[in-house]
Amino acid sequence: MRPKPAALARRFPARAAALLLLAACAGCSSVSQVRLRLPLKPRLPLRGNEKIVLAPFLIVAEAEKARDKRLQNVDLQAEFHRFLKRQIEKKTKLEVAEAPADLKLPTQSLTELGRATEFWRSLGSTTGGEVLVSGSLEFKVEDRSGYKTEEYVSPINGQTYYRQVYVEQSGFLFDIVFLVFDGRSGEKLLQDEFKDFRQSGGSQRSDELQGLFENLFSLENQILNLFVAREREADRYLFTS
Amino acid sequence: MKHRALAIALLFAPVAIGAGCASGSGDMSTQISFGADVARQGLWREAAFRFEKAIAANPKNARAHNNLAVALEATGDFARALEEYKKALELDPQDNYIRRNYARFAEFYTSYTRTTGKAAGAS
Repeated sequence: MRPKPAALARRFPARAAALLLLAACAGCSSVSQVRLRLPLKPRLPLRGNEKIVLAPFLIVAEAEKARDKRLQNVDLQAEFHRFLKRQIEKKTKLEVAEAPADLKLPTQSLTELGRATEFWRSLGSTTGGEVLVSGSLEFKVEDRSGYKTEEYVSPINGQTYYRQVYVEQSGFLFDIVFLVFDGRSGEKLLQDEFKDFRQSGGSQRSDELQGLFENLFSLENQILNLFVAREREADRYLFTS
Repeated sequence: MKHRALAIALLFAPVAIGAGCASGSGDMSTQISFGADVARQGLWREAAFRFEKAIAANPKNARAHNNLAVALEATGDFARALEEYKKALELDPQDNYIRRNYARFAEFYTSYTRTTGKAAGAS
Protein backbone atom coordinates (compact mmCIF):
# COMPACT_ATOMS: atom_id res chain seq x y z
CA MET A 1 0.00 0.00 0.00
CA ARG A 2 1.42 3.38 -1.04
CA PRO A 3 1.58 6.04 1.65
CA LYS A 4 -0.63 9.06 1.06
CA PRO A 5 1.14 12.40 0.24
CA ALA A 6 -0.24 13.91 3.41
CA ALA A 7 1.28 11.10 5.38
CA LEU A 8 4.62 11.58 3.58
CA ALA A 9 4.57 15.27 4.33
CA ARG A 10 3.86 14.54 7.92
CA ARG A 11 6.84 12.19 8.08
CA PHE A 12 9.38 14.29 6.18
CA PRO A 13 8.18 17.89 6.22
CA ALA A 14 11.58 19.61 6.39
CA ARG A 15 13.10 17.44 3.68
CA ALA A 16 10.17 18.04 1.35
CA ALA A 17 10.41 21.79 1.91
CA ALA A 18 14.14 21.77 1.12
CA LEU A 19 13.62 19.80 -2.08
CA LEU A 20 10.90 22.09 -3.30
CA LEU A 21 12.95 25.20 -2.58
CA LEU A 22 15.85 23.65 -4.51
CA ALA A 23 13.52 23.19 -7.45
CA ALA A 24 12.53 26.81 -7.10
CA CYS A 25 16.18 27.93 -7.21
CA ALA A 26 16.79 25.88 -10.35
CA GLY A 27 14.03 27.85 -12.00
CA CYS A 28 15.44 31.22 -10.87
CA SER A 29 17.96 33.03 -13.02
CA SER A 30 20.81 35.12 -11.76
CA VAL A 31 22.14 38.22 -13.37
CA SER A 32 25.56 39.78 -13.44
CA GLN A 33 26.65 43.18 -14.59
CA VAL A 34 29.35 43.47 -17.23
CA ARG A 35 31.22 46.51 -18.43
CA LEU A 36 31.59 47.02 -22.16
CA ARG A 37 33.91 49.36 -23.97
CA LEU A 38 31.92 50.73 -26.84
CA PRO A 39 33.58 52.42 -29.78
CA LEU A 40 32.63 55.97 -30.66
CA LYS A 41 33.32 56.74 -34.29
CA PRO A 42 34.94 60.08 -35.10
CA ARG A 43 32.50 62.81 -36.04
CA LEU A 44 34.69 63.92 -38.94
CA PRO A 45 35.49 61.56 -41.80
CA LEU A 46 39.28 61.89 -41.56
CA ARG A 47 42.11 59.59 -42.63
CA GLY A 48 43.87 60.32 -39.37
CA ASN A 49 47.04 62.08 -40.59
CA GLU A 50 45.65 65.36 -41.91
CA LYS A 51 47.06 68.76 -41.11
CA ILE A 52 44.74 70.66 -38.81
CA VAL A 53 44.99 74.41 -38.44
CA LEU A 54 43.62 76.01 -35.29
CA ALA A 55 42.15 79.39 -36.15
CA PRO A 56 41.02 81.89 -33.51
CA PHE A 57 37.71 81.34 -31.76
CA LEU A 58 35.16 84.05 -31.09
CA ILE A 59 35.15 84.89 -27.39
CA VAL A 60 31.58 85.28 -26.21
CA ALA A 61 32.05 86.23 -22.57
CA GLU A 62 33.83 89.57 -22.97
CA ALA A 63 31.04 91.48 -21.21
CA GLU A 64 31.03 88.93 -18.44
CA LYS A 65 34.79 89.29 -18.14
CA ALA A 66 34.43 93.01 -17.46
CA ARG A 67 31.89 92.29 -14.73
CA ASP A 68 33.78 89.52 -12.97
CA LYS A 69 37.34 90.52 -12.14
CA ARG A 70 38.31 86.89 -11.64
CA LEU A 71 37.92 86.17 -15.33
CA GLN A 72 40.22 89.01 -16.32
CA ASN A 73 43.23 86.85 -15.54
CA VAL A 74 42.18 84.12 -17.94
CA ASP A 75 43.37 84.32 -21.53
CA LEU A 76 40.67 81.99 -22.80
CA GLN A 77 41.84 81.96 -26.41
CA ALA A 78 45.43 81.05 -25.53
CA GLU A 79 44.51 78.52 -22.85
CA PHE A 80 42.01 76.77 -25.07
CA HIS A 81 44.37 76.65 -28.06
CA ARG A 82 47.13 75.25 -25.88
CA PHE A 83 44.81 72.61 -24.45
CA LEU A 84 43.40 71.61 -27.83
CA LYS A 85 46.81 71.46 -29.52
CA ARG A 86 48.30 69.37 -26.73
CA GLN A 87 45.38 66.92 -26.63
CA ILE A 88 45.27 66.43 -30.40
CA GLU A 89 49.05 65.96 -30.60
CA LYS A 90 49.06 63.55 -27.68
CA LYS A 91 46.08 61.42 -28.61
CA THR A 92 45.92 61.47 -32.40
CA LYS A 93 48.27 61.26 -35.36
CA LEU A 94 47.00 64.50 -36.82
CA GLU A 95 49.44 67.31 -37.52
CA VAL A 96 48.42 70.44 -35.64
CA ALA A 97 49.41 73.98 -36.60
CA GLU A 98 48.32 77.37 -35.35
CA ALA A 99 46.92 79.96 -37.74
CA PRO A 100 49.17 83.03 -38.24
CA ALA A 101 49.17 85.19 -35.08
CA ASP A 102 47.96 88.26 -36.96
CA LEU A 103 44.97 86.47 -38.48
CA LYS A 104 41.72 88.38 -37.96
CA LEU A 105 38.39 86.68 -38.26
CA PRO A 106 36.18 88.32 -40.91
CA THR A 107 33.19 88.67 -38.57
CA GLN A 108 32.17 88.44 -34.92
CA SER A 109 29.00 86.54 -35.77
CA LEU A 110 29.15 82.77 -35.44
CA THR A 111 26.54 82.27 -38.17
CA GLU A 112 28.43 84.44 -40.63
CA LEU A 113 31.71 82.81 -39.67
CA GLY A 114 30.20 79.49 -40.68
CA ARG A 115 29.33 80.93 -44.09
CA ALA A 116 32.66 82.67 -44.80
CA THR A 117 33.67 80.05 -47.34
CA GLU A 118 36.08 82.33 -49.20
CA PHE A 119 37.94 83.26 -46.02
CA TRP A 120 38.40 79.62 -45.01
CA ARG A 121 39.48 78.53 -48.49
CA SER A 122 42.08 81.29 -48.49
CA LEU A 123 43.33 80.30 -45.00
CA GLY A 124 43.52 76.68 -46.14
CA SER A 125 45.64 77.55 -49.15
CA THR A 126 48.03 79.83 -47.23
CA THR A 127 48.60 77.46 -44.31
CA GLY A 128 48.29 74.15 -46.15
CA GLY A 129 45.71 73.06 -43.60
CA GLU A 130 43.34 70.35 -44.81
CA VAL A 131 41.03 70.89 -41.86
CA LEU A 132 40.44 74.26 -40.21
CA VAL A 133 39.02 74.59 -36.73
CA SER A 134 37.31 77.64 -35.28
CA GLY A 135 34.09 78.49 -33.47
CA SER A 136 33.20 80.29 -30.28
CA LEU A 137 34.15 80.03 -26.63
CA GLU A 138 32.22 81.14 -23.61
CA PHE A 139 33.51 80.88 -20.07
CA LYS A 140 31.69 82.50 -17.22
CA VAL A 141 30.93 82.33 -13.57
CA GLU A 142 27.31 81.31 -13.33
CA ASP A 143 25.17 81.86 -10.30
CA ARG A 144 22.52 79.18 -10.09
CA SER A 145 21.35 80.12 -6.61
CA GLY A 146 17.65 80.08 -6.05
CA TYR A 147 14.72 78.76 -4.09
CA LYS A 148 14.16 75.04 -3.99
CA THR A 149 11.11 73.20 -2.65
CA GLU A 150 11.85 70.68 0.04
CA GLU A 151 9.82 68.39 2.30
CA TYR A 152 9.54 69.30 5.94
CA VAL A 153 7.99 67.14 8.68
CA SER A 154 6.62 69.22 11.51
CA PRO A 155 7.92 68.09 14.92
CA ILE A 156 4.69 69.41 16.44
CA ASN A 157 2.03 67.51 14.53
CA GLY A 158 4.16 65.09 12.47
CA GLN A 159 2.59 66.27 9.21
CA THR A 160 4.58 66.81 6.02
CA TYR A 161 4.75 70.29 4.58
CA TYR A 162 6.64 71.79 1.68
CA ARG A 163 8.82 74.81 2.18
CA GLN A 164 11.00 76.99 0.00
CA VAL A 165 14.70 76.92 0.82
CA TYR A 166 17.29 79.23 -0.66
CA VAL A 167 20.18 77.18 -2.11
CA GLU A 168 23.41 78.89 -3.05
CA GLN A 169 25.09 77.38 -6.06
CA SER A 170 27.64 78.93 -8.34
CA GLY A 171 30.23 77.52 -10.66
CA PHE A 172 31.99 77.78 -13.98
CA LEU A 173 30.15 77.38 -17.23
CA PHE A 174 32.09 76.53 -20.36
CA ASP A 175 30.40 76.50 -23.73
CA ILE A 176 32.26 75.69 -26.95
CA VAL A 177 30.84 75.76 -30.43
CA PHE A 178 33.11 74.07 -32.93
CA LEU A 179 33.11 75.03 -36.57
CA VAL A 180 35.22 72.76 -38.74
CA PHE A 181 35.98 73.64 -42.36
CA ASP A 182 37.47 71.89 -45.34
CA GLY A 183 40.74 73.67 -46.07
CA ARG A 184 40.44 73.11 -49.82
CA SER A 185 36.84 74.12 -50.48
CA GLY A 186 36.23 76.35 -47.46
CA GLU A 187 32.96 74.50 -46.87
CA LYS A 188 31.74 73.87 -43.35
CA LEU A 189 32.18 70.20 -42.48
CA LEU A 190 30.68 70.24 -39.01
CA GLN A 191 29.22 72.43 -36.33
CA ASP A 192 28.82 71.11 -32.81
CA GLU A 193 28.38 72.50 -29.33
CA PHE A 194 29.66 71.19 -25.99
CA LYS A 195 28.71 72.57 -22.60
CA ASP A 196 29.92 71.85 -19.12
CA PHE A 197 29.06 73.29 -15.72
CA ARG A 198 31.33 72.70 -12.73
CA GLN A 199 30.10 73.76 -9.36
CA SER A 200 32.65 75.71 -7.34
CA GLY A 201 33.20 74.42 -3.83
CA GLY A 202 30.81 75.99 -1.28
CA SER A 203 32.19 78.86 0.74
CA GLN A 204 35.67 78.33 -0.69
CA ARG A 205 36.15 80.37 -3.85
CA SER A 206 37.56 78.17 -6.58
CA ASP A 207 40.32 79.34 -8.80
CA GLU A 208 39.07 80.35 -12.27
CA LEU A 209 41.87 78.59 -14.15
CA GLN A 210 41.26 75.44 -12.18
CA GLY A 211 37.55 75.77 -13.05
CA LEU A 212 38.39 76.22 -16.73
CA PHE A 213 40.54 73.09 -16.84
CA GLU A 214 37.98 71.05 -14.95
CA ASN A 215 35.49 72.05 -17.64
CA LEU A 216 37.96 71.22 -20.40
CA PHE A 217 38.99 67.84 -19.05
CA SER A 218 35.39 66.79 -18.60
CA LEU A 219 34.79 67.62 -22.27
CA GLU A 220 38.06 66.09 -23.47
CA ASN A 221 36.56 62.83 -24.72
CA GLN A 222 33.81 64.57 -26.66
CA ILE A 223 36.21 67.09 -28.18
CA LEU A 224 38.70 64.45 -29.29
CA ASN A 225 35.85 62.35 -30.66
CA LEU A 226 35.41 65.01 -33.32
CA PHE A 227 38.72 63.94 -34.83
CA VAL A 228 39.41 60.36 -33.76
CA ALA A 229 37.60 57.25 -32.55
CA ARG A 230 37.15 57.08 -28.80
CA GLU A 231 35.74 54.56 -26.40
CA ARG A 232 32.97 54.79 -23.89
CA GLU A 233 32.32 52.48 -21.00
CA ALA A 234 28.83 51.08 -20.57
CA ASP A 235 27.27 48.61 -18.14
CA ARG A 236 24.90 45.85 -19.24
CA TYR A 237 23.11 42.98 -17.54
CA LEU A 238 23.90 39.41 -18.51
CA PHE A 239 21.84 36.42 -17.39
CA THR A 240 24.08 33.73 -16.02
CA SER A 241 21.58 30.86 -16.03
CA MET B 1 6.75 24.78 12.65
CA LYS B 2 7.52 21.88 10.31
CA HIS B 3 4.02 22.05 8.87
CA ARG B 4 4.45 25.73 8.18
CA ALA B 5 7.68 25.09 6.22
CA LEU B 6 5.93 22.44 4.17
CA ALA B 7 3.00 24.71 3.49
CA ILE B 8 5.32 27.47 2.22
CA ALA B 9 7.19 25.00 0.03
CA LEU B 10 3.98 23.60 -1.41
CA LEU B 11 2.72 27.10 -2.08
CA PHE B 12 5.79 27.95 -4.16
CA ALA B 13 6.17 24.56 -5.82
CA PRO B 14 4.06 25.17 -8.94
CA VAL B 15 5.76 28.53 -9.57
CA ALA B 16 9.20 27.06 -9.09
CA ILE B 17 8.65 24.05 -11.29
CA GLY B 18 6.96 26.18 -13.93
CA ALA B 19 9.87 28.62 -14.00
CA GLY B 20 12.32 25.75 -14.23
CA CYS B 21 10.48 24.31 -17.20
CA ALA B 22 10.11 27.70 -18.85
CA SER B 23 13.90 28.18 -18.90
CA GLY B 24 14.04 25.38 -21.45
CA SER B 25 16.32 22.42 -21.91
CA GLY B 26 19.45 21.66 -19.94
CA ASP B 27 21.52 22.30 -23.03
CA MET B 28 20.22 25.84 -23.33
CA SER B 29 20.90 26.50 -19.69
CA THR B 30 24.45 25.14 -20.00
CA GLN B 31 25.12 27.29 -23.05
CA ILE B 32 23.89 30.44 -21.29
CA SER B 33 25.90 29.70 -18.20
CA PHE B 34 29.06 28.90 -20.16
CA GLY B 35 28.53 31.92 -22.42
CA ALA B 36 28.18 34.20 -19.42
CA ASP B 37 31.38 32.77 -17.93
CA VAL B 38 33.45 33.40 -21.05
CA ALA B 39 31.85 36.82 -21.51
CA ARG B 40 33.06 37.83 -18.07
CA GLN B 41 36.56 36.91 -19.24
CA GLY B 42 36.16 39.21 -22.24
CA LEU B 43 35.79 36.38 -24.80
CA TRP B 44 32.77 37.94 -26.44
CA ARG B 45 32.85 36.05 -29.75
CA GLU B 46 32.83 32.73 -27.96
CA ALA B 47 30.05 34.05 -25.72
CA ALA B 48 28.00 35.11 -28.76
CA PHE B 49 28.45 31.62 -30.25
CA ARG B 50 27.19 30.04 -27.01
CA PHE B 51 24.18 32.34 -26.79
CA GLU B 52 23.32 31.58 -30.41
CA LYS B 53 23.35 27.87 -29.54
CA ALA B 54 21.09 28.58 -26.58
CA ILE B 55 18.68 30.37 -28.91
CA ALA B 56 18.80 27.45 -31.34
CA ALA B 57 17.78 25.18 -28.46
CA ASN B 58 14.99 27.50 -27.37
CA PRO B 59 14.21 30.42 -29.71
CA LYS B 60 11.59 31.77 -27.30
CA ASN B 61 14.01 32.40 -24.45
CA ALA B 62 14.24 36.14 -23.85
CA ARG B 63 17.33 35.83 -21.66
CA ALA B 64 19.33 34.12 -24.38
CA HIS B 65 18.35 36.87 -26.84
CA ASN B 66 19.32 39.53 -24.29
CA ASN B 67 22.71 37.91 -23.71
CA LEU B 68 23.34 37.58 -27.42
CA ALA B 69 22.48 41.26 -27.85
CA VAL B 70 25.03 42.22 -25.19
CA ALA B 71 27.69 40.02 -26.82
CA LEU B 72 26.97 41.53 -30.24
CA GLU B 73 27.19 45.00 -28.76
CA ALA B 74 30.55 44.15 -27.23
CA THR B 75 31.86 42.97 -30.61
CA GLY B 76 30.60 46.08 -32.38
CA ASP B 77 27.73 44.48 -34.31
CA PHE B 78 25.23 47.11 -33.21
CA ALA B 79 22.59 46.55 -35.88
CA ARG B 80 22.21 42.89 -34.92
CA ALA B 81 22.38 43.78 -31.23
CA LEU B 82 19.37 46.04 -31.78
CA GLU B 83 17.43 43.18 -33.39
CA GLU B 84 18.24 40.84 -30.53
CA TYR B 85 17.30 43.37 -27.86
CA LYS B 86 13.99 43.88 -29.63
CA LYS B 87 13.34 40.13 -29.76
CA ALA B 88 14.20 39.79 -26.06
CA LEU B 89 11.83 42.59 -25.19
CA GLU B 90 9.06 41.13 -27.33
CA LEU B 91 9.41 37.79 -25.58
CA ASP B 92 9.53 39.24 -22.08
CA PRO B 93 8.40 42.87 -22.01
CA GLN B 94 8.20 42.91 -18.21
CA ASP B 95 11.79 41.95 -17.47
CA ASN B 96 13.46 44.96 -15.88
CA TYR B 97 17.01 43.89 -16.74
CA ILE B 98 16.18 43.54 -20.42
CA ARG B 99 14.32 46.84 -20.39
CA ARG B 100 17.25 48.63 -18.77
CA ASN B 101 19.74 47.08 -21.18
CA TYR B 102 17.61 48.09 -24.13
CA ALA B 103 17.17 51.66 -22.85
CA ARG B 104 20.91 52.10 -22.36
CA PHE B 105 21.69 50.55 -25.73
CA ALA B 106 19.09 52.72 -27.46
CA GLU B 107 20.71 55.84 -26.02
CA PHE B 108 24.13 54.75 -27.22
CA TYR B 109 22.90 53.55 -30.60
CA THR B 110 21.04 56.79 -31.30
CA SER B 111 24.15 58.84 -30.68
CA TYR B 112 26.27 56.34 -32.65
CA THR B 113 24.04 56.47 -35.71
CA ARG B 114 23.79 60.24 -35.41
CA THR B 115 27.58 60.55 -35.60
CA THR B 116 28.08 58.03 -38.38
CA GLY B 117 24.98 59.11 -40.26
CA LYS B 118 23.74 55.57 -40.81
CA ALA B 119 21.39 53.27 -39.00
CA ALA B 120 22.40 49.95 -40.46
CA GLY B 121 19.85 47.32 -39.73
CA ALA B 122 17.66 49.63 -37.70
CA SER B 123 14.05 49.00 -38.39
